[in-house]
Amino acid sequence: MSGHVSELLPLAAAGALDAREQAQVAAHLGACEACAREAAAWRDIAAGLAQLPASRPSRGLVARTVEAVEARLAERAERAWNRAALGFLIAFAWTLALLSWLVIDLVAGGLALRLDRPVGPTAAWYAAYVVAGWLAAGVTAALVGRRAQEQGRIV
Amino acid sequence: MDPDRDDAARLRRGDTDGLAGLMQRHQDRLFRFLLRLTGDEPMAEDVFQQTWLQVAERIGRYDAARPFAPWLFTVARNLALDQLRRLRPGSLEEAGEPAAPAGTDHDPLARAIAGQRSSRLADAVARLAPLDREVLSLRFEAELELSQLAETLGVPVPTAKARLYRALARLRPRLLAHAPQEEWR
Repeated sequence: MSGHVSELLPLAAAGALDAREQAQVAAHLGACEACAREAAAWRDIAAGLAQLPASRPSRGLVARTVEAVEARLAERAERAWNRAALGFLIAFAWTLALLSWLVIDLVAGGLALRLDRPVGPTAAWYAAYVVAGWLAAGVTAALVGRRAQEQGRIV
Repeated sequence: MDPDRDDAARLRRGDTDGLAGLMQRHQDRLFRFLLRLTGDEPMAEDVFQQTWLQVAERIGRYDAARPFAPWLFTVARNLALDQLRRLRPGSLEEAGEPAAPAGTDHDPLARAIAGQRSSRLADAVARLAPLDREVLSLRFEAELELSQLAETLGVPVPTAKARLYRALARLRPRLLAHAPQEEWR
């Protein structure tokens, strides 16, 4: 018989044919005993593949996995909290630094009046103050971070 | 509401109950797939654990409009193939040393229960190349539809279909070579 559909039979058993191919196979199987036998063999194999013996994950493995994931999630939450806290602290520090401009300006003006002579450019004093403040904060953060790492904690 | 989508959203918020739900629904077929693909129980266990860790880490990248299973199996597949490539110098498209038939090979009682016929089929699958084993396991054991299979393999649907056909075509002669008369014919 011409027009056998043997090439399509493995995929038919796997449920992987499109509608046109399915119709072609169905039409042919009704008229061809050889292909019908072949189709039955492939269906048998497909059913066997769906029921192969296999282990399930052990309770120990599942418990270890859940524990590891929980630890990872806690680590992620701590990192997110640290990032948020750091962002807040940076914003707060900049706010203070900008507000302190007014204080420095006032102090430098008052000092100049009291001494009855200029104390130098206020902006330079201000810049020195900001740089010194940030340097101190940076060194402190590095020292705290190093200590936390030595203790095995997450920074 | 799709329970996977719901649990993925909970996991995204850091709620471990979301993970419990996802694991409960998918852990058995995921483990079966990993056993079948790697053919090695310790490696499958290692990849199983790594898979869920990555799921927890990358859940933000999961598109909740799509089914969860293909995304999960993609993560697992990539991890397993990385491990196999490190251990196997040859191509994963070639059958190398037969993999251990997943699961019950060292359990005589389970093997007896599963039946000789099923064991012969498992042995034949174990003699296939890793990439053939994975496509068969994803379709028949994980029960992914063809489009989901293609998504998991990262290939177009016709390519997934061709790979499925090739795996089945390679399986049949291996089955016939070791099966008694009339079986699988």
